[in-house]
Amino acid sequence: MTVSALTRPGERDRLIVKLGEIDWIFCVTISLIAGAGAVMLFSIAGSSWTPWAAAHLARYALFFAIMIVLSLIDLRVWFALAYPIYGIGFLLLLAVMVMGHHALGAQRWLQAGPITIQPSEIMKIGLVLALARFYHGLSSKSAQLSWWLLVPAVLILAPVALVAKQPDLGTAILMLLTGAIVVILAGLSWKIISAGVLGAGLLVPVVVMFGLHGYQKQRLTTFLNPEADPSGSGYHILQSQIALGSGGLLGKGYGLGSQSQLNFLPEKQTDFIFATLAEEFGFVGCISILVLYAAVIFMALRTAYLSHSHFGRLAAAGVTATFALYVLINGSMVMGLAPVVGVPMPLLSYGGTVMLTVMVGFGLVMAVRVHRYSEVTSGKGSLL
Amino acid sequence: MAEPSIFFAEVNERQGTFHRRAFLLGGFAGVGLLALGGQLAHLQLIETQRYTKLSANNQFNFKLTPPPRGLIVDRNGVVLASNRPNFRLMVAKDKGIDPAETLKTLAEFVPMDDGRQARLLREISNAPRKSPVQIMEDMSWEQFSAINIRAPELPGVTADMGEVRVYPYGGSFAHVIGYVAKVNKSDLTDTGPNADPILLNPGFRIGRQGVEQAFDLDLRGKPGAQKVEVDANGHEVATDPAGDIKAVPGKEIVLTLDADVQNRAMEVFGDESGAAVMMDCRTGDILCMYSGPSFDANRFVRGLTAIEYKELAQYDHKPLFNKALTATYPPGSTFKTMVALAALENGYDPRTVHVCNKVWFWGGRPWHCDEAHGAQDLKGGIATSCDIYFYQCALAVGPDKIAAVARKFGLGDVFDIGIPGQKPGLVPDSAYKRRAFPKDPTWHAGETPSMGIGQGYTHLNPLQLCVQAARLANGRKMLHPRLVHSVGGVVQPSGAAFGDLPFASEHIDFIRNAMVAVTTTGTGHAFGDLGLGGIRMAGKTGTAQARGYAGGTGVHDRNGAWALRDHSWFIAFAPTDQPRYAMSVLVEHGGFGATSAAPRAREIMRTALLKDPEIRAKIEKPLPLPDVKPPDTDPDVVDPPTPAAAAVQAAQQTTE
Repeated sequence: MTVSALTRPGERDRLIVKLGEIDWIFCVTISLIAGAGAVMLFSIAGSSWTPWAAAHLARYALFFAIMIVLSLIDLRVWFALAYPIYGIGFLLLLAVMVMGHHALGAQRWLQAGPITIQPSEIMKIGLVLALARFYHGLSSKSAQLSWWLLVPAVLILAPVALVAKQPDLGTAILMLLTGAIVVILAGLSWKIISAGVLGAGLLVPVVVMFGLHGYQKQRLTTFLNPEADPSGSGYHILQSQIALGSGGLLGKGYGLGSQSQLNFLPEKQTDFIFATLAEEFGFVGCISILVLYAAVIFMALRTAYLSHSHFGRLAAAGVTATFALYVLINGSMVMGLAPVVGVPMPLLSYGGTVMLTVMVGFGLVMAVRVHRYSEVTSGKGSLL
Repeated sequence: MAEPSIFFAEVNERQGTFHRRAFLLGGFAGVGLLALGGQLAHLQLIETQRYTKLSANNQFNFKLTPPPRGLIVDRNGVVLASNRPNFRLMVAKDKGIDPAETLKTLAEFVPMDDGRQARLLREISNAPRKSPVQIMEDMSWEQFSAINIRAPELPGVTADMGEVRVYPYGGSFAHVIGYVAKVNKSDLTDTGPNADPILLNPGFRIGRQGVEQAFDLDLRGKPGAQKVEVDANGHEVATDPAGDIKAVPGKEIVLTLDADVQNRAMEVFGDESGAAVMMDCRTGDILCMYSGPSFDANRFVRGLTAIEYKELAQYDHKPLFNKALTATYPPGSTFKTMVALAALENGYDPRTVHVCNKVWFWGGRPWHCDEAHGAQDLKGGIATSCDIYFYQCALAVGPDKIAAVARKFGLGDVFDIGIPGQKPGLVPDSAYKRRAFPKDPTWHAGETPSMGIGQGYTHLNPLQLCVQAARLANGRKMLHPRLVHSVGGVVQPSGAAFGDLPFASEHIDFIRNAMVAVTTTGTGHAFGDLGLGGIRMAGKTGTAQARGYAGGTGVHDRNGAWALRDHSWFIAFAPTDQPRYAMSVLVEHGGFGATSAAPRAREIMRTALLKDPEIRAKIEKPLPLPDVKPPDTDPDVVDPPTPAAAAVQAAQQTTE
């Protein structure tokens, strides 16, 4: 398949051409990470496919298929659906506030018959799409500094506020940072960026003092000094560090991680799965996984580079940013570099919601890659 | 929104900005990942040893296993203190456990009323996390197994088999052996043996009195440890027998006591208050050291209730008090042996005669005696215990010389018998008077007659009087009492290794003969015959005033209120020809020495002598059987054929 084939409109719409344009190395890489996750889940369950490993793999297979299907959808369709998806996500977030399902003191889910919907996950994709859609039609000058900036500000802050209110601080921070990154990538003036960073620096202490829930504040103080209460709130961080540190260079061996096998490690199958991996496979195993993550981020970002449309660039970069933030936040948390926020390690951790979000995001990235030569014009050129 | 005009240059500019910034974003992500890698290297390569240790601490617990407490046995190996199995029930506080609910469930298996539940709940909430609190002990096997079967559904509950101290003769040995009791907060120290975490073990007991207290560390042993793998909830996952450290059992302590003699002492004392001490007068070994009334040491192991303790502490017979060591009394007439010996040693002619008319006037006041004994020499004075004789004898010798002799017989001494609590008492002399009475420092002659009959300032404990009797009976050696024969097989020094008495043997013989006279013709004549063939006991009675009669409060013999009566003393040894055992008996407020103390001494002495194989050989005179060798073959006994012979016989039958 040559690049020239993609530049010919009739040719590039053929299914076989599109399938050939999917980055299959990328697919192999994310599958390796998901496979590593299944290997770890098998170990944690005491060498058992149930309850996690088999479900993890089955989900991944399903979501992989969804990703492939999504990658075949024309970028103009994505473009046209950007605002509607954002709008639906926002309405659902409002609905959660009104009648959401309570779980563990937080209101995050909508129950629709047998399906549980977590609107914040829809919003993660919706926000990236909406911002990319918006900046696609904005001139470079306006993107730097203009009244038009109020639109992305509202686009970002409105859902972030709703999510933070649930309260789901991890997702709110993730969305805020993702949105900020897309705005910066679109060409925001450095003056505003510096002012924003400065303002955030000043605002964070105020928010910490007055805006946080008791348990959130507790997590923060615990992060700063986990040894103060080793059996109480510092327990997660300390046990995770013990698991990591005791892994050493080569690890304790598969299935022999005492920290995870004997339940000293909390949330070992979800948020702290990286610590389990670190304990059983050591430094070598951890670095291998981190290299895989780095490769995924690199390949996704390269896709953004390749795109000829601004919408495609920003959308792919936004998804990449979300993914990279997941990895960095979870990694920092597990290693004791950040406070405990409920952010899982994408693809590695057990759990369908985040995996679905990530895979849908990757579907978007692949769609950007497959349709990198498509001309996306606002309004008139739209398919819908 | 207005249709933006997008120029080619514009598009390029946007693309350029995006490319630069996306490159920056990739850089940030790379730096972030590198930082994670750096932290991983720090944790996993540099600090890995520290975390490996922490992980092992998480994974493995060492469960302390209490060592079995050392046995305490008597001279013949009879067990006086041992351990018996004890099924205990414990609950530990931990995450996700509701102790109130747990107790409610347990109440279905073991009796536990609401008040007890409330008390235990307080105890559990005060205890540190994961440290078990004992809910119940001495469960029946049925209760134990019922709870153990349901243990998986009862998190935090453990039913195990521990050991508890048991005293088979809890009453008669309570004072000597003491008891063990729960560890108090005040027992715990930061350093030393009492800093050992085994003291926090719910079943652990600490020695509180007597031998249990004095030899606590020897009896305690060294705790072992069981290496167990635990999960985050503290549940045992696996044991690692290779990692176990064996508990070292406590040392066995062999006492010189004889359980039969001691038990007999308890029997003969009945409800009376007092003490009996017996020594082997060749070695100094203490065969009996009883203080009555006693208490059941087993009750103290579990812990007394406040009511029980109050009852014991307030009883006027003072059962918690070891009267053999801790209580001192005027020795009364038993002291006359010392006065007589001091007189003989200082050239007093034993043939000196004093006449007793029941009253003797001297120093401007009358001095009384129990009856008119008439004219007597020294031996007669001892035998009849004539006070008027000894007023004058003491005056002839003087207090300092009497005191010097008395001290050579252990009076006023504290002996190293291994257990605490001895009160030295007092043997007074002029130096004491100077020291203790600065306002009236001279010894007045009027104070000597009282001393001559064992009254006045003199007060002594029963152990000292037993040592006195033993030294008199031995006649040569300055015997010391020994209570502990061996600790963990290490034999303690004998009581006969303390040199000789510095007195002429004919003088001591004189006193011994006088003591024989006491039980032959004198005040104790009813108790000389032990009823063991020809074996006789020598002794000296004593009747000590509990209160001064002058104030009109004291009463003689067994008249009047118990607390005002005289104390009854008897010191003795037997057999008279070759003394084996010496003893002292005190019956508090028992009246005359011959009334209460002497008959009890006789019974205890009989028991000791009957157990002595040499004495038994003298008592039991079996009919000598003719020394005939049994014949090699007995016509009445037919040996059955051996299998080989049977086979030969069978073979012969078949050939026929």
